[in-house]
Amino acid sequence: MPSFKKCFNIRSRDFIHAGEASIAVQQLLKQMHVDSNLIRRIAICGYEGEMNVVMHGGDGLFCVEIDKNKIVLNISDDGQGIKDIAKVMEKGFSTATDEYREMGFGAGMGLPNMEKNADNMIIESENENGTTVQMTFFTKSA
Amino acid sequence: MTSEYIVFEEKYCTGCTQCIRACPIKAIRIKNNKAVCITSLCIGCGECIRVCPEGAISSAISDEEPLEKEKINVAIVSPILYAQFPGFMPNDVLLGLKQMGFDHAIDLSYYLEMFQYAVEEFIARNRKTNMAPWPLISPICPVVNQLIAIKYPNLLDHILPLKHPAGLVGNEIRKKLSQEHGVKEEDVILYHITPCFSKVVSDRSGLMAELSYMDKAIGINKIYPGLLQKMEEIKDFELNLFPYEHFSFAPGARGPMWGMSGGEIAGMKLEKVIAVSGFKEIIAYIEKIEMGLLKDMEYIEFRACSEGCLGGPLTAVDRYLAKSTVQKFLKIFGIGRRVQRKKVHMLYEKGWFFSELKPSELADSYYLKQTPLTIEDIKKIENLISVIQGNDCGACGAPDCKTFAEDVARGYADVEDCFKMRQG
Repeated sequence: MPSFKKCFNIRSRDFIHAGEASIAVQQLLKQMHVDSNLIRRIAICGYEGEMNVVMHGGDGLFCVEIDKNKIVLNISDDGQGIKDIAKVMEKGFSTATDEYREMGFGAGMGLPNMEKNADNMIIESENENGTTVQMTFFTKSA
Repeated sequence: MTSEYIVFEEKYCTGCTQCIRACPIKAIRIKNNKAVCITSLCIGCGECIRVCPEGAISSAISDEEPLEKEKINVAIVSPILYAQFPGFMPNDVLLGLKQMGFDHAIDLSYYLEMFQYAVEEFIARNRKTNMAPWPLISPICPVVNQLIAIKYPNLLDHILPLKHPAGLVGNEIRKKLSQEHGVKEEDVILYHITPCFSKVVSDRSGLMAELSYMDKAIGINKIYPGLLQKMEEIKDFELNLFPYEHFSFAPGARGPMWGMSGGEIAGMKLEKVIAVSGFKEIIAYIEKIEMGLLKDMEYIEFRACSEGCLGGPLTAVDRYLAKSTVQKFLKIFGIGRRVQRKKVHMLYEKGWFFSELKPSELADSYYLKQTPLTIEDIKKIENLISVIQGNDCGACGAPDCKTFAEDVARGYADVEDCFKMRQG
């Protein structure tokens, strides 16, 4: 089964370029005429994930893998990790600092929102040892 | 080589590649040393006209024709026109148009104000029904509408489905004037005097269908020299020449203010609004909307030209000078409201403001513009990009290596067009 994989680097605290990987993926999927609702869901998840890395993670990698039946986003970073994964999945939970809240972030919707929009989401994280979020989206079989 | 909006004159083109880089939707290539436009993609923004050093690119809108004497000639005046003449008042401009031979010169301000009411009303109702997704996008800038249709068709339902003010005026004025003069409706010729050639009739999009109420369009840059001359000839203010029309108010500052970025929303009683102008900026914001951001905004005023319509490609005067003139008008006239809410409310209930075709109904027709790429295609594209290792030199005729690789995958270009690939 042929699949296509591409990765983008994400840099910690780089707000100027934050979101660019998601936009690139979005443009690619559009050229492939992927269903627009699906693109939207992937874009929302990609952007949330990317912002999480920029704000909380260290440097990271944003990978997309496309094959006939599914699209997988794999977003990983070498940052501080998540202490209690169940806790961050609660709506409204946020560790955002005042500085980030002033920028309009920190509503505590990030990860729950991603889980809502992805068909399947796996978080792996070790305290102090980075985080990997893998989200799978199934394309409608033609 | 001509699109609906743009004329490329081959004899002047030197193949310099400036336009292929400037085109925000990458619709231009250089083939055999001449610029060629992929016409189905052109959205009429005019960026190529601005950058062409040879003057080989111009707008496709009709040249100024002499007015037909036996017809009723009506100038529908974009308020941007007033901002082109720093030493004159808006009334002088309307008077000048009459001296040029127009039977009527209609100021759009009244209709702009009505449109603003309609937007407020639509948004107030949408707060209750949530029928349309937030943020709503202003339907005013035709280039933005086209851009969304071609590149972001899934956002078409964010565009407010209201008629453009020039569309509102066209239908009504034609009826009124044909009755008043006792002539047939087709003998009333409406000339849209405009800073922007995208406002020229384009049935392709359907997005601006109501603008086809206009018969002809004249660029402000075309009418400017003749109009200025007529205005300078007006010495004494003769009351019988007074340009008021009984169906529109005297022009104030609200109209010209529309020409500035933020001018549309400044006249509205809305708080969660934002104005963005300039191509790069609007694309960044459109992409944000696509990623589900900006949902707490209610209305976004996008203008493709930086600083707004005052920077339109068919204006005569520099956008900042024009802006200074508008700011002068604002000091003199203020921006008080004049339209009666009751009357507008009645028209709104009758559906008078609504566009016949909702932009979102067109989404499907835009998805089919280009053939989809397959997984094999995108692998080929990525592979070619990494083999070329280019620096977007443009020598192949495409704006950048990525676009070139896509062209190759689609069969529009040959790998050998790249000089790096030729060298092996």
